[in-house]
Amino acid sequence: MTFWDGENERIKREDLEQVQLERLQSTLNRAYKNVPFYRKEFDAIGIDPGALSSVQDITKFPFTTREDLGDNYPYGLFAVPLRDIVRISSSTGTTLKPVVVGYTMRGLKVREAITSRFLAAGGVLDTDVVQICLNPGLSNWGRALKEGAEHIGASVMPMSHMGTTKQLLTMQDYKTSVLLTTPSYAMHMVEVMKSINMDAGTLSLKAIIVMGEALSQEMRERLESALKIDVRAAYGPSDVMGPGIAFECAEKNGLHISEDHFLLEIIASDSDAPCAPGETGEVVLTMLTAKAFPLIRFRTGDLAFKIAGSCPCGRTLERMSGITGHTGEVLTIRGVKVHPAQIDRIIKGAIKGFSSRFLIHLYKESHLDMTEIWLEMNDALFSDEMKVLDATLKYLREQILEILGLHVTIRLVEAETIGEYEKPSGGVIDER
Amino acid sequence: MLRIKNLHAYYGRIKALDNVSLHVRPGEIVSLIGANGAGKTTVLNTISGLIRFSQGEIRFEDSKINGLRPEKIVAAGISQVPEGRQIFAPLTVRENLELGAYLRFKKKENEGITSDLDRVFQLFPRLKERSGQIAGTLSGGEQQMLAIGRALMAKPKLLLLDEPSMGLAPLIVKDIMNTVSELRKGGMTILMVEQNARASLTISDRGYVLETGRVVLQGPSDELMDDSDVKRAYLGKDYKTFWEGRERA
Repeated sequence: MTFWDGENERIKREDLEQVQLERLQSTLNRAYKNVPFYRKEFDAIGIDPGALSSVQDITKFPFTTREDLGDNYPYGLFAVPLRDIVRISSSTGTTLKPVVVGYTMRGLKVREAITSRFLAAGGVLDTDVVQICLNPGLSNWGRALKEGAEHIGASVMPMSHMGTTKQLLTMQDYKTSVLLTTPSYAMHMVEVMKSINMDAGTLSLKAIIVMGEALSQEMRERLESALKIDVRAAYGPSDVMGPGIAFECAEKNGLHISEDHFLLEIIASDSDAPCAPGETGEVVLTMLTAKAFPLIRFRTGDLAFKIAGSCPCGRTLERMSGITGHTGEVLTIRGVKVHPAQIDRIIKGAIKGFSSRFLIHLYKESHLDMTEIWLEMNDALFSDEMKVLDATLKYLREQILEILGLHVTIRLVEAETIGEYEKPSGGVIDER
Repeated sequence: MLRIKNLHAYYGRIKALDNVSLHVRPGEIVSLIGANGAGKTTVLNTISGLIRFSQGEIRFEDSKINGLRPEKIVAAGISQVPEGRQIFAPLTVRENLELGAYLRFKKKENEGITSDLDRVFQLFPRLKERSGQIAGTLSGGEQQMLAIGRALMAKPKLLLLDEPSMGLAPLIVKDIMNTVSELRKGGMTILMVEQNARASLTISDRGYVLETGRVVLQGPSDELMDDSDVKRAYLGKDYKTFWEGRERA
C-alpha cells in the first residue's frame, strides 16, 4: 500500500493549485471573520482576504510567531466556538505559556487522514505491528500517530513510559514491524541492544519512521545496516501540528509535502524573501484545512530547502529536505522545542532571590540529547546547610521536568567557568 | 471541467461576490449552499453570462468563457435551470422543451433534437403524459421537471441548477433530487445552488458554503453535513459567544 490517498497524492499540479487557492481563500476568510487577532493583524497592514488571487499572494499576509501563540493564550487563536472543539492539545511551548491547539471532530479526522497518508508512504500496512516510542514532550504526536496507524488497520502500541530495555523486549516479543520514534532514540536503542546482547536477527522490524530531529545520512546508514531495516524521515513542528506534514517515500530523496493541507514557504532568514529550490531558509507553514486553529504563515524556526523536479514514485507533491537546523534561540531537545527564556523563568521561580548567571549545556550521551544546567555559585545559592541546597536543586529539577517535560542535571560552577564561555546568562553551549 | 478563480461581482455599488474560487470536475454534483443573499445565484448568473463581473476568470473545459454572451455559453455546453423555473406558462409542455433546443434548431440538428425529446420523456414520464398540456397548469414539481427537461434539450455538458427545491413539498423535493442523481448517473455534471442544504448535500459529492459573497468553507458533502457551522446555519442556531454551550465552573 504505497499510496493511501493516491488520487490526491498524484493530483495534477494545475488541479492542486486550484484546490490550494480555494482552501487558502476560505481559510483566510474564516480567520479574518472569526479570529480578532488575524483581523487586527490584517487591518494593521491594510490587507483584506479578498486581495489573495493566487497562492503566491500569501507573501502579502503577516506572519504568525510563537510569541503570538503565547500572547493569545489560551483560546485567542481559535476560529470556532469552544462548543465545536472536541480535542484540546497542549504542549509546553517556547514562551512562558503552554501552546493550546484545538480540533473539531472533523479536524481530527483530517489529521488522521494526513497521518495515515504519511505512514503508508513510509511502508505501514494493515498487517503491521507498530510501536511508538516518543518522549512525553511529544505526546501530541504520539496520539496523532496512534490514530493514523490504527486508521490504516495496523496493530498499534501507543507511547508508554517503559524504559529502553523493556521497549526492546516488547519489540522482540510482540514482533513489532514498524517503529515510530526520533532518530536519536533509535540510535540509543541500537546501543542498548548491544549492551544487553540482543541480536537484530531476533527482531521482526522492517522499518523505522523517524521524526522530531534532523536525520543525518550517517545515522540513517548506521540504523539501516545495524538493524537491516529501512529508515524513513518525516517532518512537522511538534508544538502546533502533527508529525506528517512532509514525509519520505520509498525513493528516500526528500520529503513530500502534504500540499493539499499545508502551504509551505521557505523564506530567507535575513530578508523574509522566498527562497529558490536548493536555498536554505526558514520553514513557514499555513494550514489549509484546519477549521478550529487555522495558523497563517507560522514561522516554525526550522531550516530546510525545497527540492526541484519530480519524484519517480509518482507523487506530484513537492519535496523538501529534512531539517538542517534552526533559526534564532529556540532549541530542539529530544524533538521538543524549548526557549532558553523558559528555563530562565523556571530557575527564577524555583530559587528565591536568584541573581547569578546560568548556561544551558547540551550534549549527547548514547545518541540521546542530554541537558545540563550550569548554575553560577554565589552567596544567595550557597547555604551552609548542604541539605537545603540539595532540596533547592531537586525542586528546580522537578520544576523543569514538570513544566518542560525535560530531564536535566544541574551542575554548580564557578563564576570564572561561566565567564570563559563569554555568553550572557541563559546562553547555550551546544555540543551535540 | 469548470474552474473559477477570484470572481468579484457587484450589484450597483454593493459587492455581491468577493474573491470566489471554485471548481467542478466531470461527473460531479457540487452544491453551493448559504443563506439568502449570500451570492449563490450570482455565481450561477456570472457563469452563464447573465450578469457581468468585474474581476476573475471562468474556464470551461480549458477555454476561458468569461465575457462571452449567454447564447455562446449555452453553445459551449452550459445550461442553467433558473430559480422559480421560469417556464413559458402559455405554451405547451412540448413547446417549452423544444424552445430549450432553440440554438440547435438554428443549427438544423433536428434528428438529434427528436431523440433528446424522447430521452427527456423517458426521464420524466409525467411530462410525456402531459406533453400537450399548457405548462402554466402543471404542479410545482412538474414545472421544475419541465425546467430541467428544457435545459437538457440544449444538450449541455454542465447543468446549473438554481434552487430546484424552492417552494416544493418535501416529498416532491426528494423526487427532484432523485432525478438530479439519475442525471449524474447518465454522465451529467451538475452545479447546484440550494437553500435546502441537507437535501442538496445528500446527493452531491462536494460543497461550498458562501457567506456574504465569500466562500467560508468547502469540502466533501458528508463532511459539510457533519460540520457544526453548516448545521447551525441549517438549523438557524448560532452561538453568540465563544463560551456558549460549554459550562464554566
